[in-house]
Amino acid sequence: MSSVEIRGLSVRVGAKTLVDDVTLDIEAGTWCTIIGPNGAGKTSLVEVVAGIRTASDGSVAISGRSIDKMSERERARSVALVPQHPIVPSGMSVFDYVALGRTAYHGLFRSAGVNDRRVVESVLERLYLGEFRERDVATLSGGERQRMVLGRALAQSTTVIVLDEPITGLDLRHQMELLELLKKEVLECGLTLVATLHDLTLAGQFADRLVLLDHGAVVLDDDSASVVRSEELAQTYGMKLRVVDVDGSDVVVPVRR
Amino acid sequence: MRRVAVVVALTLAGLAMAVVGGLVIGPTPIGTTRVVGDMFSHLGLGHSTLTSLQSTIIWQLRAPRMVLGLLAGSMLAVAGGTYQGVFRNPLADPYLLGVAAGAGLGATFAIVHVGGGLSTPTWTPLLAFVGAIGAVTATWLVGGRGLYSNAATLILAGVAVSALLTSVQTYLQQSSLGSMTRVYIWLLGSLASATWGSVGLVAPYVVVCVLVCVAAGRALDVMSVGEDESRSLGLPVRRVRLIVIVASSLGTAAIVSVAGLIGFVGIIVPHIVRLLVGTSYRRILPISVVFGAAFMVFADTIARTIVAPSELPLGVVTALVGAPVFVVILTLRRRVAM
Repeated sequence: MSSVEIRGLSVRVGAKTLVDDVTLDIEAGTWCTIIGPNGAGKTSLVEVVAGIRTASDGSVAISGRSIDKMSERERARSVALVPQHPIVPSGMSVFDYVALGRTAYHGLFRSAGVNDRRVVESVLERLYLGEFRERDVATLSGGERQRMVLGRALAQSTTVIVLDEPITGLDLRHQMELLELLKKEVLECGLTLVATLHDLTLAGQFADRLVLLDHGAVVLDDDSASVVRSEELAQTYGMKLRVVDVDGSDVVVPVRR
Repeated sequence: MRRVAVVVALTLAGLAMAVVGGLVIGPTPIGTTRVVGDMFSHLGLGHSTLTSLQSTIIWQLRAPRMVLGLLAGSMLAVAGGTYQGVFRNPLADPYLLGVAAGAGLGATFAIVHVGGGLSTPTWTPLLAFVGAIGAVTATWLVGGRGLYSNAATLILAGVAVSALLTSVQTYLQQSSLGSMTRVYIWLLGSLASATWGSVGLVAPYVVVCVLVCVAAGRALDVMSVGEDESRSLGLPVRRVRLIVIVASSLGTAAIVSVAGLIGFVGIIVPHIVRLLVGTSYRRILPISVVFGAAFMVFADTIARTIVAPSELPLGVVTALVGAPVFVVILTLRRRVAM
């Protein structure tokens, strides 16, 4: 069964079309990554799926229910977002930050209950954040911070998580660590991921499926290996690309002209 | 945690001192023990040693004024705190969306045109209240009703509405030189006109609005990650913003209508509290209520005694006392942090 159904989705701002009639079905328990050059409409597309941007046309359904028909709270229990540039409110502890993910469960006038705290504790443990629980969020390193933002999304206990460039600004090791953590959540907990990623090699290695976007429209939508090795990929980026096999994984290398 | 407990205890002690000081201190000296004894006698404990004149001074002049100070201080402080949270703007104060400009225009109109004699005391608060609510409503409509707009649009709409109303107010004020002093005194804020009647009139608004603002603390903590992210966490951002704006505006309008434009408290008290107890609005807002109340009564006691029998404008004293306090705390904090 599809976890995320996107039907004829368009986003227009003024005369500019950011997302152009996109239709996608993303199966439950899979990882789908949207790739494409800057300005292809990746962020706009995932923001609509996450419910923080309104579509001009078309619809998004999570587990068969249209997100337009959900209340804010219902939506936050179905889909969580790891934004590209999360706002880190200095002065807040890591525990409290991750606990923000429980907002849709305990409501606005009640404190986090026993169950909410248990969820937060388990997330902190899964993401190796236990030792940081009392730390001020502003004092974390880039990698720790990004794990914490992911923790908040996991604490929302949703079936779908949307990630917009989750590894931007991280060093190579922390990029791999975060992606491995995500892969583990997909494999062990049946989470559905919709991500955008600039690094084509990592996109290909971790996602089950890649969707190539250009000028807001879908150019190619296939399993990762096929998209990485496709003609369309190089054409869309307007450059020469070579795909090299390194120990069984595809590595995408740009070639200087 | 212990730090918060200490701050709460000191703030409550400050409130108790401000309340007793507000009753005891004045041009007619009445001993503290006799006033406290009189307070207890009203509870049926012991006998009062006050003359009936002294009793009248305390319970009909100083007490309503002190209570109005409590209401004004807590309302302005908590409204400023919630605005700083909901607009994520450290410069936000309760007058951000035009309450002050609207009330100023309403009051000036009442003083200049309805003017004179006995009618002014009734018309001034009424028109100030109407002006304040009208101004915020205009800001809300101009700013796109918060539907498709963001916080910045609303703030800019507030700037525009305030500028427009203030220019009309200034014109009215200049065109009637005879009432200029009275307009000016009103603009600087004062609790001098406090009676049990005016206290009774504004208390219901203020109490409800203060409670609503304090209850918004948790939502404001969520909003510290910005509008988009808090929406993705399931917070109905627009509804929260509307509720906070209605409660802050209504309560502030009620206070302004009877006490004029008392400045500085709304912006500075939440910041002082934030420096003392951290960034969570669940702490900042309730402590600001108590801190603001104590601070206002303290400031008013200075305002009405230091140049007695005349009075200093309350807005002058709040800034004169508040600014150094703020600077001291800011400096101490910075030193500790380093």
